[in-house]
Amino acid sequence: MILTLFYTFYLDISNAKESELLPSLYIGSLAMLGGIALIFLINRYGNGWVASLLFLFLFTFAIVFTSEPEMLLGEYMFYLTIPILMASILVRPWASFVLASLNTLIIALTAQNIQVVLPLPGVLGFYLLALVSWLTAQTMEHALRDLRDLNTQLEQRVQERTTALATANQELINANARLEELDKLKSRFLSIVSHELRTPLSAIQGFAEMLQYEVYGALSPKQHNALARIIANDERLLNLVNDLLDQARIEAGQLSLVNVTFPLQGLISDMESTIRVLVEAKKLYLRIHVADAVPTTLYGDQKRLQQILVNLVNNALKFTQQGGVDVHFYRPDEGHWAVDIVDTGPGIPKEAQNYIFDPFRQIDSSATREHKGFGLGLAIVKQLVTLMGGAVTVISEVGQGSTFTVTLPLISPIQRQ
Amino acid sequence: MSDKFALIIEDEEDLATIFSEALKAAGFETELIYDGAIAERRLREVYPAIVVLDLNLPHVDGNQLLHQIRTDPRLGNTRVLIATADAGMADMLTDEADLILLKPISFVQLRTMAERMGLAMS
Repeated sequence: MILTLFYTFYLDISNAKESELLPSLYIGSLAMLGGIALIFLINRYGNGWVASLLFLFLFTFAIVFTSEPEMLLGEYMFYLTIPILMASILVRPWASFVLASLNTLIIALTAQNIQVVLPLPGVLGFYLLALVSWLTAQTMEHALRDLRDLNTQLEQRVQERTTALATANQELINANARLEELDKLKSRFLSIVSHELRTPLSAIQGFAEMLQYEVYGALSPKQHNALARIIANDERLLNLVNDLLDQARIEAGQLSLVNVTFPLQGLISDMESTIRVLVEAKKLYLRIHVADAVPTTLYGDQKRLQQILVNLVNNALKFTQQGGVDVHFYRPDEGHWAVDIVDTGPGIPKEAQNYIFDPFRQIDSSATREHKGFGLGLAIVKQLVTLMGGAVTVISEVGQGSTFTVTLPLISPIQRQ
Repeated sequence: MSDKFALIIEDEEDLATIFSEALKAAGFETELIYDGAIAERRLREVYPAIVVLDLNLPHVDGNQLLHQIRTDPRLGNTRVLIATADAGMADMLTDEADLILLKPISFVQLRTMAERMGLAMS
């Protein structure tokens, strides 16, 4: 309203000064200032109302100051359509009608001022354009709204996914913490089981041995026989517990090797004394062959090497009914020493050779009943040999016996320092 | 105390009895102690020729007792025989033991060891 009043005021001035020509420099500066203000306002407030109205009034003033006011009703009337388009796009679709009405007001005032008839086609043109831009802007707004909705949905989905991801991440962290906790529990469990299972078994063994050695007085042959059975069964149980604990320790990565320098002969005689009873009971032979190239002193975990040898030889004897077992110590090359355990047993079928080193597997379930045990022996051998940086392989054919080969790196006492 | 006196320090009473019988069979007199703190006091009073020492003991552990024996000039001739189920613990001893036996330790094995030690000392 105020702007309209100003307009009429200036129109009057310009009419009064009609004859005087205002310096074009002054007008140009004014237009530049107006343009700067327009840009500033759009940038600062992003307000479509301010922008389109300012355009309209600046344009009108410019025409009124520079040219004849009637030009507004003539060739410049076209430019008044610009704020209609601006408003419909920058403000709201319906704002085009407001601007069309303002245009009508401006040209009506001008027409009244210069006393000409209001050009009705122009007025109708404004409204027609307002209608067209209203429709266009509305279509655009719909499209924009759809886009905005889509965007919101996308943002929502991203948000949901992010939340889901964060939750999954947290769950993973929790699961990891639980696993670490379980790992600690497993270690504790292992040491407790190791102690609690082995202590009573050792006590049984100790007392039975004391009775056997007649520490508590003389025994009858029948009592001796019963004691021998107690001791043999206790030993079997102790060996099974030890196998289970070894397997569990290996799985938990807790089995470490204790390397020492030891004589090869010690390894052989210890193995022979452990195995002798079984060899004699089954009336088999056990022959040891040592190649000259094998050093008399070796370096490694003697207890575990002993375990590997006893396991393999025991296994070979277990399945052999006739003949026996040959154990060859030799040196396949400069950096290694090896043991072949050759038996005259039934041999191992090709498909079974793929899994005989897996824990808890035996060739068939009837074998488990016949030969007893968990099927852990070979699995432990393989894992121990691997831990020592060596390899264990088997060559066998059904009816031709089996040959197990353990190859280990030869570490000289100088190398280990 | 006689040259043939052995102290058995082991909290599992059954195992302590077996160790004791094995040492008796090898000709030693024995005394059984089931607690680390009691062992710590008793070691200041007696002169054992052999100490059979468990590592995992209540109140004062075997490693500390081994250190006490090794730093006590009175016990300069005492042989220490470590009896443990844990090879890892035996590796971490701060002082030198005369013998480390991994449990399960058989009666015969311990008797033989004690006989050899007894012979070596006499």
